[in-house]
Amino acid sequence: MRHAPAFPTDSLMTHATPAGLPFLGFGLGLRPPHYHAILDTRPAVDWFEILSENYLVPGGKPLHFLDRIRADYPMAMHGVSLSIGSTDDLDFDYLRDLKALAERVEPAWISDHLCWTGVHGGNTHDLLPLPYTEETARHVAARVSVVQEFLGRRILLENVSSYASYADSSLSEWEFITLVSELADCLLLLDVNNIYVSAFNHGFDARAFIDGVPAHRVQQIHLAGHHNHGDYIIDTHDAPIIDPVWELYDYALARLGPVSSMIERDDHIPELAELVDELAIARRLAAPYLAQERAA
Amino acid sequence: MTASRLRGVQESLHTYLLGEGDASAVRDAIVDDARVGAERRLKIYHDAYRLRLIEALSKAYPNLFRLLGDALFERMARSYIAAHPSGYRNLRWYGGELAEHLAAALPQHPIAGELARFEWTLALAFDSTDAPVLGGADLAAVPPEDWGRLRFALHPSARVLDMKLNTVAVWKALDEDRAPPPIEETASAWLIWRKELNPHYRSLDPGERASLTLIANGACFAEVCEALNGDEAESDAAARAAGFLAAWLGDGLLSRL
Repeated sequence: MRHAPAFPTDSLMTHATPAGLPFLGFGLGLRPPHYHAILDTRPAVDWFEILSENYLVPGGKPLHFLDRIRADYPMAMHGVSLSIGSTDDLDFDYLRDLKALAERVEPAWISDHLCWTGVHGGNTHDLLPLPYTEETARHVAARVSVVQEFLGRRILLENVSSYASYADSSLSEWEFITLVSELADCLLLLDVNNIYVSAFNHGFDARAFIDGVPAHRVQQIHLAGHHNHGDYIIDTHDAPIIDPVWELYDYALARLGPVSSMIERDDHIPELAELVDELAIARRLAAPYLAQERAA
Repeated sequence: MTASRLRGVQESLHTYLLGEGDASAVRDAIVDDARVGAERRLKIYHDAYRLRLIEALSKAYPNLFRLLGDALFERMARSYIAAHPSGYRNLRWYGGELAEHLAAALPQHPIAGELARFEWTLALAFDSTDAPVLGGADLAAVPPEDWGRLRFALHPSARVLDMKLNTVAVWKALDEDRAPPPIEETASAWLIWRKELNPHYRSLDPGERASLTLIANGACFAEVCEALNGDEAESDAAARAAGFLAAWLGDGLLSRL
């Protein structure tokens, strides 16, 4: 089948990121309620991020629409069940399926979360945080290296929203992320909303987090909405992005320069046009940094 | 923090998440604080685990959800979740044993299990393996005298379900947001498959059900005619078999000669 190039080829997108992967521009999560609208209206979305697991099925509609939309848009693959931090063995059946899907999609990159999802073969279907210690970082990094070797490419790891932290932790989350990414030579997916949520839940400074990660490894940014319960915040992806998260996004771009960005919406999914409008906010905030980059 | 300590923390947290809420084995591993507290922080994860799986089940079984209503569906989902921890990488596969669970948990409402089985089978047809579909032209290329030797492969999405109740009528009413008919005992067989991109279903009479089973087991077309022969005059059997074949081709049910 014919694919769109793995990255946009228009002049806006010519700069290579420090990590050497393409700058994709501004994207959305690909969600089934939008399949027809995407094909019918060809929205001004630079790229789509797919949830890899949604397409790890034998056939039918999901793969049909995946192929059709991929023919017109660059894509990245984003997984939720790599469980890179688990103390279970890596699941090579899953990795084989993921690799086969990557051969079909030819994604610009593959990402998952810096977390664990279960032990003893079980899956909580949650992105559980890890204790932030040097030993844990070494454990995770060794596994990332195996995964990268298997997939034949560097992967991106995303910081998760968390609601609890461990008494064993001796590093900050950003120190931990930095250590894992340097030990494994992997890339990072910075979820600005997750930074905001975790900063609120654990009482750390969100800007210190952004200042603390290795800028040259940040390949992608996630944006999303959340639910504030008063004394804690739950990452729900069911609402528009709030202004303080946009401010944090702006702060991140000021440090990192323009980074491929996308909006995740997984519940109360609105019309596609509403998300395209929300994405325009990201474009507007990033415009000065893109202009700076072009001037340089 | 040693590797075995990390393993221990993960095991105790996972056990807590699957269990009934006793946090005593894991609480000390979690940082306590005055604002939220370790127990409430753990409970966020404990609740989220169940809510996520309940939601997955309600999406996989939308008409079962309508049939049982919020409260009974949630009770059934919670008992299923307690009995069936997920080992799936993809949440899409979670819930495949719900029909059996309902048969045991709601013996007074056998409709629940049958409806769950029907709904799950529709979902299997939705994203089952893709395969080519035979059309009339493919068959026209074969001289009629050779038809007897033909062996067909059913489309991978095709499944036959036997029902004891008027489950499909109930499912259809729920799906169309109408009041379901009274539940009746009535034995019937149903074919479920994917045509183009969407799941389809239709009833099967005993002769067609038997013929499809033979095809699925690799019988050639002559054997299908022969089996029908036992029931009726030979010429009627040949005509019925030819009628089935035309219907299967029209339904996109055959994927290979």
